[in-house]
Amino acid sequence: MEFVDYLQAVTDGVMQGAYYALIGIGFTLIFGVMNKINLAYAAAAFGGAYASLGVAALMNTGGDFGLPPLLMFLASAVAAGLFAWVVYTICFRFTPDHYELATLMATVGAFFLIEEIAVHATDGEPMDFPEVLHGIVEDPMIEFSDAFAIRGDLLTIFILALIAMAVLLLLLYRTKLGLATRAVAQQRTAAQLCGISVDRTNATTFIIAGVLGGLAGAMIGAAVGVLSPLLFVPLTVKGLIVTVIGGLGSIPGAIVAGLLVGGLENVFLALRGITERDMYVMLLLFLFLAFRPQGLFGKKVLRD
Amino acid sequence: MLEVARLSKHFGGVRAVDELDFRVEAGEIFGLIGPNGSGKSTTVNMIAGIFAPTAGEIIFDGVDITEAPPHITLHAGIARTFQNIRLFNNMTVWENLWVAQNSAKQKRTGNPLARWMGGSRRAAAAVEEYLEFSNLAHKRDELAGNLAFGEQRRLEVARSLAAEPKFLLLDEPAAGMNLEEVKELDERLRVLRDRGVTILLVEHVMELVMEVTDRIAVLNFGRKIAEGTPSEVQKNQAVMDAYLGAGEGGSDA
Amino acid sequence: MDDFTWGLVQIVGVHTILGLSAYVILLTGQVSMAQAGFVAIGAYVAGMLTVLAEWHIIPAMVTGGLAASVLACIVGFPALRIRGLMLVVATIAFGEFVRLFWFNFDYRIAKGDIVVGPEGGEGFKQIRFFPENGWTTQDVAAFVWVVAAIILATLWWMDRSRAGKVLRAVGEDEMAAQSVGINLTVVKVAAFTAGGFIAGIAGAIYAHYTTHIEHLNFDILMATFAIAYPILGGLANVWGTLFAAFFIQVIVIEVLRDLGDVRNLMFGALIILVMNFLPHGLFSAKVVRKLKEWMGIGKMSDA
Repeated sequence: MEFVDYLQAVTDGVMQGAYYALIGIGFTLIFGVMNKINLAYAAAAFGGAYASLGVAALMNTGGDFGLPPLLMFLASAVAAGLFAWVVYTICFRFTPDHYELATLMATVGAFFLIEEIAVHATDGEPMDFPEVLHGIVEDPMIEFSDAFAIRGDLLTIFILALIAMAVLLLLLYRTKLGLATRAVAQQRTAAQLCGISVDRTNATTFIIAGVLGGLAGAMIGAAVGVLSPLLFVPLTVKGLIVTVIGGLGSIPGAIVAGLLVGGLENVFLALRGITERDMYVMLLLFLFLAFRPQGLFGKKVLRD
Repeated sequence: MLEVARLSKHFGGVRAVDELDFRVEAGEIFGLIGPNGSGKSTTVNMIAGIFAPTAGEIIFDGVDITEAPPHITLHAGIARTFQNIRLFNNMTVWENLWVAQNSAKQKRTGNPLARWMGGSRRAAAAVEEYLEFSNLAHKRDELAGNLAFGEQRRLEVARSLAAEPKFLLLDEPAAGMNLEEVKELDERLRVLRDRGVTILLVEHVMELVMEVTDRIAVLNFGRKIAEGTPSEVQKNQAVMDAYLGAGEGGSDA
Repeated sequence: MDDFTWGLVQIVGVHTILGLSAYVILLTGQVSMAQAGFVAIGAYVAGMLTVLAEWHIIPAMVTGGLAASVLACIVGFPALRIRGLMLVVATIAFGEFVRLFWFNFDYRIAKGDIVVGPEGGEGFKQIRFFPENGWTTQDVAAFVWVVAAIILATLWWMDRSRAGKVLRAVGEDEMAAQSVGINLTVVKVAAFTAGGFIAGIAGAIYAHYTTHIEHLNFDILMATFAIAYPILGGLANVWGTLFAAFFIQVIVIEVLRDLGDVRNLMFGALIILVMNFLPHGLFSAKVVRKLKEWMGIGKMSDA
């Protein structure tokens, strides 16, 4: 491979990494506030994307798809936010706070529930997702040379993801809601004493994370062109890897790690092929666990 | 028996313990007191091996245990209790004691297969003895988590004794006890001392500390401000100042 | 009983062993999502030994278990530095790594007029030790349950011994366990090693009764089954795991077969329901205690 080929692989990968970053942020947000992992998170995100297809079908007025592209994203985000709240209610709200095994197991159950519902609703067949981005980008390629080009659809996804992240950071650091969320994340008891409802903050965090996930789900649908339940497990695993590499609870960490994993993954793909690609991503995770278990931006936690 | 020299522990910029020196002689009950946040529990945790000190050393019976992890300090003969009781709540009282028989001597003697895979009679007899000593014999099959508060405190002391330690670190064993219970504890500590167990007692309940200890060291802001017999310490001006106002602030570490 | 029922008997047996492999590790408070990976190692290693090297099933099974336990021991050490949810992520990744390894693993030799051995994504076909040696379905089912019974009995005995209490002490409170002289490194790595060995045994049997394995058999669903049995059944003793494996494989999956594909939905819903209403599983320490009091049996200190 020539240098320019690596450059192409990394560029495409980093742009695709944007949705790993979004999923990673979702895991990390929930972890930050509740100190628990929601394994059903990526499944709920895809649930949103499926729901947006349903909405489009309902509103179909004779054209290919009944919804303008941005509305598809919006529908996916809203639906995923709703699903995230449902997951919160059935897996976190009533399970014991101090026994993380129960919530973990319940979220695994929710994962299979959502996956199975998706399989049932679609008979297990992949569903075409509209190439919504063609409506936005006139020219799908920005060519710099014969060997290097930036794909318009990936660039659009990348920019959309950046906007979503910027909105999230504004929400967390410039609003009262964000203040409450950060307060609960840092000092739960103190936050309660200040009159912040932990339950409501938790639910809100789930919904925010769900909205981000819904965006990511729709983006993946738009980038890949299809939605399939087969995507649920790999995306959950990648999202978790991104979360750990970035440092549990760190939003900037999840963003950097998402782009890093996306970029490297594409290089592994170019070098070793699709069947071996993910093995190298796992090795990357093991290297981090061995030498920097707190991740890129995480706090150092060794002995209690 | 235990010698702590220039011991320091810094958490970020906070000097929880700063250049602390003291010696505990064999066979005595040594008190460690001070206002909240003065570094008593941090000191206990460093001796027990939970925290690695930032600087300084801890010598026990001539052996350097500064960096030793908790199970090694136990094998060396130091057992402990926790300020906020840490029992195995889903195990019975009897099992809590059984599982704690891990001294170097208990590991050496006897058939390892019997030790791990069966309940050897010798072990069971020793467990009974500590049950009697702590007045918990009638509760032996109760889950530790179901015991009353005072009983849990007694069980934790009994559990630390199960490893037949030479040295006992007690972190506020009287906290939350009524006067009757404090009196019983006082008697038990004296019995233990008479049996040859050396005790380092961290405590807020002054009735107990002033009654039972042979010598006391007083900490404030991580530093030792006084040391001596209970009556000497009670008259010390620096100690009075520490307790009567200047000692506010800082978190209890 | 027909062959279908005997087949079900085999499945419940293997799933019980699978659940027990996670049970040992869960006792120390660690959640291993890597059990499917250990099963895969046992399955492929034992399969290669009987097919390529023409070993007998029993030494092949033990060797498969040992191979898995070596890997589990290696996983156990880094697992000491990370805990709780990080361990969940790390073991998920490890399990997937092992699965992808077999996805890419190709080693075949000619045997007579056919070529046998693992063939990457195509899987490992023709693991025909049982049919070639004239074992009937009943024989295989009996074999599975003899192995399962040995493992059940061993773990039951261990649970009542001091070793079992040490595992539970670590699971309840690591700091307190260290402070009563328990070496966390030894206990946690030992639990992982034992769990890996048992999972490897499950894999070896699984490979031989299905006669055809592929990497997709050892996915996250299998890893979830492994931890689901002990967690749903309760960690008070081994019987909870046995009961949960039976209940899920027989009641939820087979008896409700008439409901069609809805039964997979029920697996997810069942987990959520149990965790909401019985977070410590069906036979939790408290429930088992009540049961024993009620029946008036089995006090530890009388033993």
